[in-house]
Amino acid sequence: MAALLLAPVLTYLFVISYYPIADTVWTSLHSGSVMPTREQQFVGLEHYRSVLSSPSFWNSFWVTLIYTFVSVPIEMVLGLGVALLINRDFWGRYVALVAILFPWALPTIINAQIWSWLFHGEYGVINDLLIRVGILESAYPFLSDPDIALASMLFVTIWKTTSFVALILLAGLASIPDNLYEAARIDGASKVKQFWYVTLPLLKPVILVALIFRTLPAFQAFGLPYGLTGGGPGESTTTLVLWAHSQTFTRFEFGEGAAAATIITLVAMVICLIYVMTLYEPEVR
Amino acid sequence: MSSKTHDPTSSVADDQSVFDRFDPHRVGEQLGFYGSVVLLCLVSFFPIIWIFLTSIKPSTEIIQFPVQYLPSEVTLDNYVMALQQAPFLRYLINSFIVASGTAILCVVLGSMAGYALSRLDFRFKLHVLMIVLVSAMLPFFGRLIPLFDLARSTGFLNSYLGLIIPYSAFQLPFAIWIFQAYFKELPDSLEEAGLIDGLSHIGVLFRIILPVSAPAMATTAIIVFIYAWNEFLFALTFMTEDSMRTITVGIALYQGEYTYPWATISAAVFMSIVPLLLLMLFFQRKIVEGLTAGVGKA
Repeated sequence: MAALLLAPVLTYLFVISYYPIADTVWTSLHSGSVMPTREQQFVGLEHYRSVLSSPSFWNSFWVTLIYTFVSVPIEMVLGLGVALLINRDFWGRYVALVAILFPWALPTIINAQIWSWLFHGEYGVINDLLIRVGILESAYPFLSDPDIALASMLFVTIWKTTSFVALILLAGLASIPDNLYEAARIDGASKVKQFWYVTLPLLKPVILVALIFRTLPAFQAFGLPYGLTGGGPGESTTTLVLWAHSQTFTRFEFGEGAAAATIITLVAMVICLIYVMTLYEPEVR
Repeated sequence: MSSKTHDPTSSVADDQSVFDRFDPHRVGEQLGFYGSVVLLCLVSFFPIIWIFLTSIKPSTEIIQFPVQYLPSEVTLDNYVMALQQAPFLRYLINSFIVASGTAILCVVLGSMAGYALSRLDFRFKLHVLMIVLVSAMLPFFGRLIPLFDLARSTGFLNSYLGLIIPYSAFQLPFAIWIFQAYFKELPDSLEEAGLIDGLSHIGVLFRIILPVSAPAMATTAIIVFIYAWNEFLFALTFMTEDSMRTITVGIALYQGEYTYPWATISAAVFMSIVPLLLLMLFFQRKIVEGLTAGVGKA
């Protein structure tokens, strides 16, 4: 019976998820154009060698690491703050939740375009606001300065996904029984102590979920750099997937694109594994 | 107020009575709280408010600096332009079909697997769970080229199914997770009654469990719908014909084909967001409660 219910899903996952990954690994080890005809010549790690010796690959690798490991921790802290703030009953709660969740529902590529307009070097409203409050003296081309472009991209992604983290953490907060806080209060624990010794430990599984759900997409960022900066100026905001995508679909280096894709897959899996090993606690029943 | 802060045993009930009397500290806290919430909402909504304002401005007022915040006159020209210069309505319809199809497929397959994983005992259960979980962690880009190849050789490029099939596969782990978390909470008596009445497990699932699972179905459907509506990488690669593009791709490529017409883009962007906004307003509770039910038990 279980087999009957699971067969479609398992077949599906093997055809659409596992087989393609295997095929990508296969492609990464073979020479020749993948499309339209397959020439199957085993070249070993040749594509990996040329990817790993490419400075622009390493540039995109570091850009991606910075992008991921700056944005995710900030999102977690801000998300926790937002979750703690709205974790109570108040008038207009659901309207506020919709408003706060809105950035998450916004398509990344559309978001990228909206912000490229907001950050516009001449007519951008961000420039205007910063001048009005006296932070800037004249309009600044946020997206054409290599250092600031990456920071701007970080800002946009944090703006977009903090709300999602907040919602996930809010779910975790809601599942903590009130009597634990009551007990802590009776024992004389301050609000801060309650947070450290009751809230945070019990939030761990949910934090793990949020971390994985945020790190994986951040590590595969494509739409945001594509729409916001196009990877530039120079290659200052070229993420791994953007680099691999242009390698594959612009330069038609399928073998190298596949090698890069395999590397992305491996690194993503390792990051997830580290998260799970540090944070996962088997359910106690 | 002072006694409250020094008394660690004060409970919620005490807070309430303190609030009933007039208490400046409490009022201040409330003001601070609502102030923060309103600020948060403003920060969240600011970009789209700005896009809306841009979309109804005459084009001369869009490229002004210092910025002109409110339009001197409201115009719908930009919307007319958007609809005339690119088939944005067509894109919207394409997105709608793809997103709905993905949502339906995920609900059907996700509920089946979720039922098996939460209410049935069988060998290899842990293995199946692992297969589902790991597939959720596989990067999308690693699957792009082979799936593109597959779609091309099977004729699925530039077809709705060409996107619905991969999107569903990517979202299935999430759907299964939501359904199994929800099903776990249902009382055993529900299906026992059905089994005694002679229904098979599949009969129990479709006749008894699913009819009471509207919350899980709605959550899954909405979140999967939003995902499919928003996806860009696969939509960009698989839909090479203009008439098959989804709205995200349509808007993204629009600015390349014409020289940055911000007014028209703003109008198109705003049109593309209205469906999402409506969805969120109508189903706010389902989104929040559904995720709460699922994540709380993770």
